[in-house]
Amino acid sequence: MREKVTVTVDDDHLGQVASLAEQLSTAGMEVEQVLGEIGIITGSAPAERRAALEGLAGVSAVESENSFQLPPSDSEVQ
Amino acid sequence: MASVDVGGPGVPEAGLSDQTGEFTGRYLVVFSDEVHGDAGATNATLQSVAGISNMVSTLDFAGGAADPDATGDADAMLFAELGVAVVSAESAEGGAVGALNADPRILSIEPERILYAIADPPLSLEYVRGYRDAIANLYEQLSGGVEARTEAGTAAAFADNASLTWGLQATRACTSPRTGVDIRLAVLDTGFDLTHPDFVDRPVLSQSFVAGPAVQAGHGHAPHWVGTPGGPTSPAGGGRRYGVATSASILVGKVLSNQGSGADSNILAGISWAIANGADVISMSLGADVQQVSQAYEAVGRRALQAGSLIVAAAGNNADRAAGDNGFVGIPANSPSIMAVGAVDSDLRIANFSARSSPVAGGKVDIAGPGVTVYSSWPMQVAPNRYHTISGTSMATPHVAGLAALLGEATGARGAQLWAKLTQAARPLRLSSADVGAGLAQAPQQ
Repeated sequence: MREKVTVTVDDDHLGQVASLAEQLSTAGMEVEQVLGEIGIITGSAPAERRAALEGLAGVSAVESENSFQLPPSDSEVQ
Repeated sequence: MASVDVGGPGVPEAGLSDQTGEFTGRYLVVFSDEVHGDAGATNATLQSVAGISNMVSTLDFAGGAADPDATGDADAMLFAELGVAVVSAESAEGGAVGALNADPRILSIEPERILYAIADPPLSLEYVRGYRDAIANLYEQLSGGVEARTEAGTAAAFADNASLTWGLQATRACTSPRTGVDIRLAVLDTGFDLTHPDFVDRPVLSQSFVAGPAVQAGHGHAPHWVGTPGGPTSPAGGGRRYGVATSASILVGKVLSNQGSGADSNILAGISWAIANGADVISMSLGADVQQVSQAYEAVGRRALQAGSLIVAAAGNNADRAAGDNGFVGIPANSPSIMAVGAVDSDLRIANFSARSSPVAGGKVDIAGPGVTVYSSWPMQVAPNRYHTISGTSMATPHVAGLAALLGEATGARGAQLWAKLTQAARPLRLSSADVGAGLAQAPQQ
């Protein structure tokens, strides 16, 4: 089963975010966004490929995507 | 000692200090910036004004570390790096203190105090604790418990009036000469009502990071959150001023859908865009009730600070203090590199819903802003139309973002330096720092 993941690039590889995205893709991640400015790559990956992604040089963390939900517009507390 | 306005060694002058305490009999002389840093000038000041010539300076010691045993006979000890001198009681007796007090090269002069390490108090901790509990009980009984959450001891109640919201008054934004000129303020949210009359003349750079509808918001939050930091001095739609940084350039990133939902990928893309577009301050009134710190947000917050962008985020509304639940700071505000904002009401009490610091490293509230019954702009086509008054740490956050813009203009500070300016300028509150951090954010007054 694929799940949405957020990959954090470590400080030493901020100059190679694009090539790291290619390596992640080869390792089984479907890359959706490459955010070079902040060293983040987002997308999805099968749960069993997670360890392989984490093992790549330059990957600081692979985390499951968080979702956010605001209360409805008419709520008194926002 | 005819003209000496000091009672004598060990007794503070009435105008200097009316606090009780123990004194050494010496005096602390603080030099003005005019002479601070110039060893010759500070020496000359003490010499010419007070006739003190027998002095030693930290510059006389290796590494600036003064040796107390070697300073025994001197009339004054100068801490050159600090711009402070300790003057002996004998000099004070001789009239020197009075003369120093009147000299423009001297900022202040006060009796030197005896301080005790907190771990070694003059009274036993047990004794003091018993005293504290007794007083707390008495207070609780007298107040009927109703003021249990108030900032005890102050009568600082604020209220909206015809021209200003209470939040602008409490943060002193309304008396600040700064308006956020040349500061780029990004609000990452559900979008914005680009047709709102208060903003039609205002250049707003906007971008959507969610699928579907464009930036035009169908959800009320975002206009409210854009209005608080960036609303105009004289709202075209009528009514009182509610905006903090009336001249700041506004960037609006839509990272949440019209239904108010979004994910990391939307929010991180918005942050990246804001940084790339030179945002000095990024306001995020959003969060998830997850206690563990996200490594992604922590790294991004740190990189943003390095790029000169300060990210402020809502601490969260997961508390119900009336029911004994203090909640906790969630993602992304729990990242050490992202400023977490709690909410207080117009009596400067902690809001019932405002989340408390968690034991997680970084999961602490850093500062507080006005977040109860906050009046601001609202989408024209969403009831109650044009303006609305609501509550939440989501309302406290844009106040702090706007105040950061004012401080950024006033001081030129960015990133981590701007963070420090905000916490330094905050008004201390008699509330737990676990709830309000450094206190209520304040606008610069010059």
